[in-house]
Amino acid sequence: MAEIESDQLQRASLDETKVKNEDEEEEECILQFLDSLDAYLTLVDSLSSSLRQGWFDLASARQSMGHTLISSKLFDHKVHSASTTINITELDADNPSDPKPQFSLSKWATTKENPSSEVPNNSNLRHRAPTSVLEDGEKSNGTQVSSVVSNDIQKERSKSLTIFGGLVSPKLRTAQVSFETALDKIVEIANARSSMLSSFSQLQLNKKSSS
Amino acid sequence: MYGFEALTFNINDGYLEAIVRGYRSGLLTAADYNNLCQCETLDDIKMHLTATEYGPYLQNEPSPLHTTTIVEKCTLKLVEEYKHMMCQATEPLSKFLEYITYGHMIDNVVLIVTGTLHERDVHELLEKCHPLGMFDSIASLAVAQNMRELYRLVLVDTPLAPYFSECITSEDLDDMNIEIMRNTLYKAYLEDFYKFCEKLGGATAEIMRDLLAFEADRRAVNITINSIGTELTRDDRKKLYSNFGLLYPYGHEELAVCEDIDQVRGAMEKYPPYQSIFAKLSYGESQMLDKAFYEEEVKRLCLAFEQQFHYGVFFAYMRLREQEIRNLMWISECVAQNQKTRVHDSVVFIF
Repeated sequence: MAEIESDQLQRASLDETKVKNEDEEEEECILQFLDSLDAYLTLVDSLSSSLRQGWFDLASARQSMGHTLISSKLFDHKVHSASTTINITELDADNPSDPKPQFSLSKWATTKENPSSEVPNNSNLRHRAPTSVLEDGEKSNGTQVSSVVSNDIQKERSKSLTIFGGLVSPKLRTAQVSFETALDKIVEIANARSSMLSSFSQLQLNKKSSS
Repeated sequence: MYGFEALTFNINDGYLEAIVRGYRSGLLTAADYNNLCQCETLDDIKMHLTATEYGPYLQNEPSPLHTTTIVEKCTLKLVEEYKHMMCQATEPLSKFLEYITYGHMIDNVVLIVTGTLHERDVHELLEKCHPLGMFDSIASLAVAQNMRELYRLVLVDTPLAPYFSECITSEDLDDMNIEIMRNTLYKAYLEDFYKFCEKLGGATAEIMRDLLAFEADRRAVNITINSIGTELTRDDRKKLYSNFGLLYPYGHEELAVCEDIDQVRGAMEKYPPYQSIFAKLSYGESQMLDKAFYEEEVKRLCLAFEQQFHYGVFFAYMRLREQEIRNLMWISECVAQNQKTRVHDSVVFIF
């Protein structure tokens, strides 16, 4: 009799622990969802500021260089490879019902010299700042490589502005940086949204399993 | 002979000087700009401009308006006024008025050549050309592959032909070569205009000497700042500076080796007229430099009207109108982008 009672007590405490763990998991999911939602909204606001600044800088450049020089009529219609590409990786391959795509940007890839350098980045990493195009084997060289690479990126940036002329105003370069920052933010927003949707679906799953 | 223009100027050019002084009184005032800066939409701007001399050009434009439409219509007014003066002018005033348009002609040539390099349709590009810089064979520019062909096929029969002697090469046209061509042509044009005004003599020479020297110096500063961090070498940069002006030749030597805006400031502050311009900027800043130069230019252009019996008033009026159009473009952009707090960053009041 006493044994049965102790068994029952043990089972009751195990059940209580299980419920407590489930509650904690659910709370953690909710927190994760709210965190990713907060990050998403902050990024959207930040994107809006970057774009606003970019358009203003472009208007300043038009004022400085003339409205005929900064015009969509000068955009290059020749076919050329994209200097910036986006890579999408599906994380969480173990759970195909809940895919979590991860986006990463490869900016200013110098495809002319080295076509293999187009997709150098680890797709699991999220890019928070304008990143250099890194090649395997050069990561150990530290700042020397990064300064060489950033010079290459500067050259690519200047080259992309030559559609408006060989000598452009610094205001146009500022506008370019603003739009580049906006592009980084768009990728971060995509990742934040992916994370948010994943947390939300996890939350819904937990709710269904608990009910 | 300087001082005796009062005896003979009005015989041929008195009517047109009166006309241009009348045009000058139609320039927008500070009160007009204050009203425009308070507009909420581009339609409000159109409504305010309808009450000015731009009224007939904008009143029939349908909504929604675009900033480029406002600029195009305001430019039409300038073109009509220019054509009215041109058809009434006799030599040498007619030649002087033609010189005023050569800068726009150079810009149009570069626009067509650049657009063609980017495989754009010629008709689209022609719509973007400045009306004051149009000439008959401009559309044929699209067939040229290098500068030699450009000259031989099209430009040899235009007023720009004499300016091409320094930039005829067989090199293919690319973005940097085109930019060098633009600046080389403009340099040759400014020097030629300067010599023409010197030949005219009198008050015209005195006033235009100052205005063209300022233009040459400003171009030198802009070329320096825009070429920092580019592949343009120091020697190439120096070749683009005009051979006259306050900065010639010692200022040019210093500007040619500048690598950042602070070095440019250091070179320019040795010249009192430019010291006051750079005094308005903080160290490392170049954003407000354009406005500072425009303000100085407007001051000098307005002073040109203080004397009579010279051609400088025509040049000054055209430049003041262009500044007014730039102001309107800026105000329109700020209103369209809901950035009204920044509208005074680039507006230069004329009166």
